[in-house]
Amino acid sequence: MTHPWPVAITGLGCICAAGTDVDSCVETLYTGRRAPAPPVRFGSDHPTRYPVFEVAGFTEAPELLRTSALGLHAAREALLDAGFDRDQLSSLKVGVCIGTTVGSAMNSEAFCRDYRSGNDPDLEPIERILRSNPASVIAREFGCTGPCQTVVNACASGTDAVGIAASWIRGGVCDVVIAGGADELGRITYNGFISLMITDDSPCKPFDRERKGLNLGEGGAILILESEEVRERRGKSPRSYLLGYGSACDAYHLTAPRPDGAGLRSAIAEALSCCGIAADSIAFVNAHGTGTPDNDRVESRVLADIFPGTPFLSTKGYTGHTLGAAGAIEAVFTVACLERGMLPGNAGFATPDPELGGTPVPVPTRVAGTIAMSESLAFGGNNSVIILGKREAA
Amino acid sequence: MMRMTVKGIGVVGGFGCGVAELSAALESGTTNVETLSVPTAAGKVEIPAYRARTGRLEEFVPKRALRRIDHYSKLGLLGAYLALEDGGMLGSDPGRLGVVIASGYGATATTFAFLDSIIADGDICASPTHFANSVHNSAAANISIMLGAKGPSLTVSQFEMSLPSALLTARLWLSEGRVDAVLVGAIDELSDLVGYLWHRQRGVGNAQAISPLDFDRESSILGEGAAFLLLTRDGEGYCGIDDVETGSLGAGTIPVASDSLLLLGADGRKEFGARYRELAGSSPRVACYSPLYGSMPAAAGFDLASAALSLKNGRGVPMAGDGIAGTSAVDRISAIRVAGADEYSAITLSL
Repeated sequence: MTHPWPVAITGLGCICAAGTDVDSCVETLYTGRRAPAPPVRFGSDHPTRYPVFEVAGFTEAPELLRTSALGLHAAREALLDAGFDRDQLSSLKVGVCIGTTVGSAMNSEAFCRDYRSGNDPDLEPIERILRSNPASVIAREFGCTGPCQTVVNACASGTDAVGIAASWIRGGVCDVVIAGGADELGRITYNGFISLMITDDSPCKPFDRERKGLNLGEGGAILILESEEVRERRGKSPRSYLLGYGSACDAYHLTAPRPDGAGLRSAIAEALSCCGIAADSIAFVNAHGTGTPDNDRVESRVLADIFPGTPFLSTKGYTGHTLGAAGAIEAVFTVACLERGMLPGNAGFATPDPELGGTPVPVPTRVAGTIAMSESLAFGGNNSVIILGKREAA
Repeated sequence: MMRMTVKGIGVVGGFGCGVAELSAALESGTTNVETLSVPTAAGKVEIPAYRARTGRLEEFVPKRALRRIDHYSKLGLLGAYLALEDGGMLGSDPGRLGVVIASGYGATATTFAFLDSIIADGDICASPTHFANSVHNSAAANISIMLGAKGPSLTVSQFEMSLPSALLTARLWLSEGRVDAVLVGAIDELSDLVGYLWHRQRGVGNAQAISPLDFDRESSILGEGAAFLLLTRDGEGYCGIDDVETGSLGAGTIPVASDSLLLLGADGRKEFGARYRELAGSSPRVACYSPLYGSMPAAAGFDLASAALSLKNGRGVPMAGDGIAGTSAVDRISAIRVAGADEYSAITLSL
């Protein structure tokens, strides 16, 4: 491994059910509020009304997919936080790397329904998809001329996008990368996850004995990654550093995690080794923690083996599973928790499960240390891990 | 920037399957154009199309194991196996093998099949199998599962720029030492959706051949297929990939080495004609091979496979139709594509 040096994170942006900016989201985590409810923006003829975490009060422009609008909203906040305006970006090589699951999928139900009815449907829903590629939308909005990549690694997309962005900085491909993830809630994913029977009909309970599955959510989160040369020239203090990244494939099943967690173990090992950090230096782990029986069992056992006694939590009890946005949202939360030295309680957890490798932090908990880990597990057997650190850890 | 070696090529498209059939198509300059039957409000319409067949996949995978795998993933699997075989790595330990898949539109047939399951029978009858297979990274997952490849896996969907963007990440994986080899594949499939959109936007189309260098005329023909490159840091192979440039042009110009043969991604779409004409005027030696595999985002992968073969043969191959080709010696090729408002990619390959 030859990518040991840390990459500065100089700006953060986030929007999800927990709030419409980073501060409001983090505030929600620490107060423990959450309010999943049956979807408001779309209907379903399922007899059970499965709760979701929608972003209330957010309306997208009609020419864009909601996914791209959520990503754009987070990007604006992150660039403001980093102190960049469009003019400053124009003199730099700026890349955009965004994870999503539905943001580039040709899955307009309205179009399909009309087409299958034997009509010649309006092409606007498809044209909207074609002009809404999440990375391209952000690149266009801010005049970015560097590489542009939309990562579609299912639920690990956001974590992978951030890890790849760091490679672009280290490899000299970019001066700055706008990296993160975005995904919207809709009938396709709602019906899809219900069909897989991994959706909870009550508020999700990650790592709890009574967990029954996930609640879907939506949102977007962006991290601004910046080369040291540019950051020092601007005199900008980093909020955090991306220290390590690892990813590995289970090569096992399309939708189920490998029972022994071998892929996740490999991803963690790579993330730690590439930055030369020992497992016992990790102050806490922001786990994937979807609340599905399989995910939480595999993940908690791996964490118990590699990080015995290290506090961990899932923040999906506050946001729902935001799919391609999840890794980015959780990276932002991880940075925020490092800054505050405090973890929120794992929402939904009440009863320990003896089958799991451990129990998450049940209430807000102070943590010492300067380094933390965030991880994502995904359909396709993708496992992705990033290591984040405070300035003194870099 | 680190140079990558193209160690193996795996292709399946309208011209056939494998390096030998792509080479033959490049030499002859022709590929048989078939048709795709597209449902429309006025009934079925036949539009010209290049169809890809995956029958040879059974040489590598038992038929039984392919039962639940859709056409999109089969295209990817066949491309992956052919590239490994061509590169002499079939059966090798895949522990240090990365997989990067680039797709413009993903598994559109299965995506539509999932929507059909809801539309026909209601939300409660949504198909879990179709849902799982409609996820963009399904082909990458199936490839990793079949090969037992436990290294990093990535799927990129950047429409026309998917493959160049994917190459950028593959090169970084190799230079960082994360992997020893990467399978980079571009996949796109024909479906009712893709065919219908094409028909709505371009009519019945040109049934004869793409004339990519007739820049003022719409002559595009839909294609499908998979083009895989097995890339390594060094060693013997077809050629090297020296540089991968991708981004938005802004006020700049596309960087092209003056001694390169220019391989244009022009595919008969009139909307990009003016930009390709300008590029063609910048070089005395221009080639374009889209008439062999058609128009699709994954064509960027076929361009690179064709370029690698041309370099290995030491000459640009003749082109039927437009006749702008170089049969003269060639040791450097710049593969250029344009898309969208001002997106571009420039990939330089050399011996």
